[in-house]
Amino acid sequence: MVGLSAGEKQFMHGGIAQDLRSDGRQRLQFRPISIQTGVIPQANGSARVTLGATVVIASIKAELGKPAPLRPDKGKVVIFIDCSPTAGTMFEGRGGEELSSELSVGLQRCLLGGKSGAEAGAGIDLSSLVLAEGKICWDLYIDGLVISSDGNLLDALAAAIKVCRFIFLVRFEISSPWQVALSNTGIPKVSVIVEASAEDQLEVNVSDEEFLQFDTSGVPVIVTLTKVGRHYIADATSEEESQMSSAVSVSVNRHGRVCGLTKRGGAGLDPSVMLDMISVAKHASENLIAVLDSEIAAAEAAEDDGS
Amino acid sequence: MLQSKSFVKKTKQGRVVKVVREHYLRDDIHCGAEICKVCQSSSVRLSSSASILIIDTNVVLHQIDLLENPAINNVIVLSVVLDEVRNRNMSVYNRMKALCTDAMKNFYVFSNEHHRDTYVKEMVGESPNDRNDRAIRFAARWYQSHLGEGTQILLITNDRENKRKAVEEGISAETIESYVRSLQQPNLLDLVVIPTSAVKEEIDDLRPLKRKAFYLEHKPMSEITSGLLHRIYHQGKLRVNRYNPFEAYVGSESIGDEIVIYGRVNMNRAFDEDVVAVELLPKDQWSGVKSFIAVDDDEDEEDDIHMVPSSADAPPRNTNVANGHSGSTPIISDRPVGRVIGIIKRNWDSYCGSLEPMPFPAGNGGAASALFVSKDRRIPKIRILTHQLGNLIDKRIIVTVDSWDCSSKYPSGHYVRTIGEIGDRDTESEVILIDNDINTRPFSVQVLACLPPLPWSLSVEDMANPHREDLRHLRVFSVDPPGCRDIDDALHCTTSANGNFEVGVHIADVTNFVYPGTPLDEEAAQRGTSVYLVEKRIDMLPKPLTEDICSLRADVERLAFSVIWEMTPNAEIISTKYTKSIIKSCAALSYIEAQARMDDSRMVDPVTTDLRNLNSLAKIMRQRRVDRGALTLASAEVKFQIDTETHDPLDIGMYQIREANQMIEEFMLAANVSVAEKILKHFPLCSLLRRHPTPTKEMLEPLVHTAASVGLDLDISTSKALADSLDHAVGDDPYFNKLIRILATRCMTQAVYFCSGDLAPAEFHHYGLASPLYTHFTSPIRRYADVMVHRLLAAALEIAKLPPVFLDGQRLTQLADNLNHRHRNAQMAGRASVELHTLIYFRKRPTDTEARIVKIKANGFIVFVPKFGIEGPVHLTAKGDKQGDWSVDAKGQTMTKAGTNTSYRTLQTVRIHLEVVEPQPHRPKLELTLI
Amino acid sequence: MEYVSSLTGFRFDGRRPNEMRQIRGEIGVLAKADGSALFEMGNTKVIAAVFGPREVQNKSQQIDNQALVRCEYSMANFSTGDRARKPKGDRNIISYSADHGSKYINTFDASFSGKNLKQIDIFLQVLQADGGTRSACINAATLALADAGIPMRDIVTSCSAGYLCSTPLLDLNYVEDSAGGPDVTVGLLVKMDKMTLLQVIALMPTFFFFCCCICFVLLFV
Repeated sequence: MVGLSAGEKQFMHGGIAQDLRSDGRQRLQFRPISIQTGVIPQANGSARVTLGATVVIASIKAELGKPAPLRPDKGKVVIFIDCSPTAGTMFEGRGGEELSSELSVGLQRCLLGGKSGAEAGAGIDLSSLVLAEGKICWDLYIDGLVISSDGNLLDALAAAIKVCRFIFLVRFEISSPWQVALSNTGIPKVSVIVEASAEDQLEVNVSDEEFLQFDTSGVPVIVTLTKVGRHYIADATSEEESQMSSAVSVSVNRHGRVCGLTKRGGAGLDPSVMLDMISVAKHASENLIAVLDSEIAAAEAAEDDGS
Repeated sequence: MLQSKSFVKKTKQGRVVKVVREHYLRDDIHCGAEICKVCQSSSVRLSSSASILIIDTNVVLHQIDLLENPAINNVIVLSVVLDEVRNRNMSVYNRMKALCTDAMKNFYVFSNEHHRDTYVKEMVGESPNDRNDRAIRFAARWYQSHLGEGTQILLITNDRENKRKAVEEGISAETIESYVRSLQQPNLLDLVVIPTSAVKEEIDDLRPLKRKAFYLEHKPMSEITSGLLHRIYHQGKLRVNRYNPFEAYVGSESIGDEIVIYGRVNMNRAFDEDVVAVELLPKDQWSGVKSFIAVDDDEDEEDDIHMVPSSADAPPRNTNVANGHSGSTPIISDRPVGRVIGIIKRNWDSYCGSLEPMPFPAGNGGAASALFVSKDRRIPKIRILTHQLGNLIDKRIIVTVDSWDCSSKYPSGHYVRTIGEIGDRDTESEVILIDNDINTRPFSVQVLACLPPLPWSLSVEDMANPHREDLRHLRVFSVDPPGCRDIDDALHCTTSANGNFEVGVHIADVTNFVYPGTPLDEEAAQRGTSVYLVEKRIDMLPKPLTEDICSLRADVERLAFSVIWEMTPNAEIISTKYTKSIIKSCAALSYIEAQARMDDSRMVDPVTTDLRNLNSLAKIMRQRRVDRGALTLASAEVKFQIDTETHDPLDIGMYQIREANQMIEEFMLAANVSVAEKILKHFPLCSLLRRHPTPTKEMLEPLVHTAASVGLDLDISTSKALADSLDHAVGDDPYFNKLIRILATRCMTQAVYFCSGDLAPAEFHHYGLASPLYTHFTSPIRRYADVMVHRLLAAALEIAKLPPVFLDGQRLTQLADNLNHRHRNAQMAGRASVELHTLIYFRKRPTDTEARIVKIKANGFIVFVPKFGIEGPVHLTAKGDKQGDWSVDAKGQTMTKAGTNTSYRTLQTVRIHLEVVEPQPHRPKLELTLI
Repeated sequence: MEYVSSLTGFRFDGRRPNEMRQIRGEIGVLAKADGSALFEMGNTKVIAAVFGPREVQNKSQQIDNQALVRCEYSMANFSTGDRARKPKGDRNIISYSADHGSKYINTFDASFSGKNLKQIDIFLQVLQADGGTRSACINAATLALADAGIPMRDIVTSCSAGYLCSTPLLDLNYVEDSAGGPDVTVGLLVKMDKMTLLQVIALMPTFFFFCCCICFVLLFV
């Protein structure tokens, strides 16, 4: 992808070994991160995250759906990532598909516990999305779009999803014959009109009086540590990524719990190095969460001023 | 200039979708007040001499009749109010729109929602209603500060909470009632709708009535919803029997049958066309319901003199089973019977009628309560409160319904306006039009903008059009009633070398000028048909089209849609060709002229020869149709001779049907059938056809009974058998056969338009014409159905694309339903107009004449007066004395006076006296008495 | 539906028939592209990225002494109100892109003055679609090309117009666009006063050219 001369490679490796990377950062230092929320008004929640020259947009849309028969008490979350050709000519046509699906799988694993592991729902509490067990639930569609790519897309996307201030739609009212108990939904201040039209078909009436802000503080962040030479670095640029031997992405939530793990790259890793990386990532995540929190606060303040 | 504000809206469309729309706020919206120095003066509508009113949504919704009164003026209509009104009630919105553009009224629309200073943002936890109320108050306050203290801004609201808040915020606010009182015009008070509770108190004051619930309480909506779900209740549109207002039907999809509802108590305050929820009565109450009618029937069904239904399309009166024979035959008990338990959607409207005559109350100055009787018998009496009783008692007035409480026997409403004096011809004509919901408004600017520029003439493009055949060389002519100006059909007939005939039917090419989807098209679709009253015509299309551009007048080049057959001298169709064409008619004949030409053997000019050829073909075609079983039904159409100056009828007589009429009719039928075949072949699922259902045995029963009483045996097994027995029904006098045919006509249901996708092909049958397929193609100037059929045919010929409406089955069915509804209303109006003129005619001319008894009743009989085409009751006993000494035989066919041998039987000829009487002041009616 | 209130003369969103939505443009939004721009027309948001001029990648496409302009257009999943899933491989989208691509080629061909350029790629990403995406794309691409420093004969601008309720309307938003009336998109070389694109949808009665006229006039502003 990125063509580097031998000299440049040497320079990069040397720098990393001395804890001083080409752009002046330390090995575990992130690039400056900036956040803008509500960039896609049509979505229920959206954010743009700029991490150096990497720019991604995430949007969350909620639609009413039916829980899967095997998991009547859980809502559904679909993550879909797209790489726009504006990020580079290599994404032209179908060029972005491979990376897109790799990123989608990575995020699914880190936020949901894998494609089939919706059971776990480590990052997002799926049972909180159910409105009437077995009948109706929220389906969340999380769409990510990579607009500009300069490495560490996974972390940027996860951060964008985390900071989407996801606003739930509605207040529902309850009417007979189905009195739906909602105490278990975990979404405060929500009630539902579940009105029956045909026998097994539920009709939902939505009143647009109240919004509910979905609590995304429990959504984990992802910290990817990229192994270049003998050292690993955080927040690699695409130049650095071109030299990686392997990379481990760890998703960690606010409480320091590891929610998901992905390893990429061809080279194997010694288990002890792996453990080490996990604990480093956990430590780095605390910083990242703190940065994101303050950015969210700043974005909210800016938005309030703006309106 | 533009300020942007993104705001968020949510809609429900089955799914939950978030909608984002931009909302621009502007600084260039003017206040519209004369006094204002800041704003541009070009848009001034509000004068500063009087106080300026700002009206709340509830005032617009409920007091629109009052707002239309010229006394209410200088009003600011906020856009937030208009939006709310549009969402709540489209018809009020349209009236409001008309008011705002009325040059006579100073109503100014202020876009508060887009004004920088008056836009209010929804607050957290605030309901849209509260937000809108706040926006109204905010705008009122803005106006007050904008215009300064010199001008009074008055907020008119009937919402107590809104008024309270307004006063708190320093805005002057009043209720509509107190405002109208302050105007000191007592008549205006009649227009104010007073909330139900207030009305009740006042009525109670006036007439200390025992408080009792006349009707069952309506069930709450939630109970209805769940009841409908569990099929305890059934939903449907209530239709009141036109001829017996104490009987109604609810077509229910859930049980696939019509539920009959007897009596006002069971109808439970539902009006005609309301969507109601019905509960079935226990099966043992299904029969023996007759007693219900009697119990309830305190308004006493009055037998008025009326026109005889004149065609197969006319609804029967008290005769068929669907109308629930209120005579002596027992009611069939397997029809479900129910009662209304709730009203899902009201169809309240304004109604035309007059006040029930009543003695003047002692103090004439104050408010009096009066009962309003609608012309439409399906509507119950309506109680109104009036301050001008003496003024209204001899007038036709319009009244709107406001509410119907279960403790009051009648609904309460309010006076809207006066049409004119009862009995006055113009007044009564207007009543007829309003009553039948006929749109008499002039065509709007948008509609007129769709017309081609006048004077229209054949253009080069039309000539160059490859789909348009130039038939100007043909000898085309038209035959119509005298004075006809909207000529939509013309004919030609040439002889070819092999002895065959080429016969062409040329129909005005209306669709060349009326494009689908244009305002003109939509207006025509809405009107459905032209309406012919005795003294005037209400057009479906604007006059330039009907009388000039489309009308196939003589000696001008016109566009046509032609059906051309090659026929053998035996009238067998060898081939059929359909094409758009250009024709030039050489003669516009009247039926009388055409007949005279054919009869005059001295005339041998080409047109007359063509006429004779056509006539001989038509006779063969007619005979063939009759052999197939087509019914020659008779109608009792009458013709007035109208005074050109006073427009009063001078003479009245039966409409004479000539051979020429039948000839034209025959070719029109043939063209319609040919077109029906063609369009159905191409569009089997979306063709618009016309069907006439086969009458059931029960429906023909009264006819068979009547015929049997005079020793005539009618075979009703098939239409062919019926036609034959009708042919053989020759009595001792020449009119007998026609009378029987008239009676037969009345037993039939009417023919209806339908969409071919909605029914099975077996049901397409047209019984009266004995044709498996039929449609309307030949009168596009005056019927919208024909316009649709023209489009279908053009699409079938691949001349034009099929308009998208045909692909939307539901929409198409709706259109067909509307056409049926309009068609029927037009007929009713036409008949009512004839009735009206009959009444006017006899007012000065009491007449003795012959009549035929058509039905025996308990206290008299119904006679038919052939000469004037009217039908009405002859009472043998005084009113109230139900039976007298007359007894009716078992079959209800003869009545005999006890102790004498005076007796009357059906179809007997009697002599009667016709006279207009006024049993109550200002209520003229035609009375028939036996001589 | 009353797209233009007969009483106030305003459209749903408060604009008059001859007013555009608020427009906003920003250049240099993407660090990695040679030229980039974000262009907004009301709620319609488009990002354009320009890569090049560079060597022609596929030699068979090379045309002598003329630049090869390629264009790809994609819509983000979240760009429309209802989230219909449209993966990139969707046939429709591809043909749509190709179709659009050729449009832009037409639009820009006339405006390149530099003959030594070899290949220029324009990528258009619709972030939000609220009507007039085609126009927004053209405008965004113009800005991105300018940002990339590609010499152009003239600036290409575009706007759409439609005809609803017997009124010509400038710059339709989604609601107006989906009303089914006729609409036209015009691309214009401002200084040279030449039209490079005219795309018409639906039947066009003759008086409809009115719309175009208004469209033109406003583009000069």
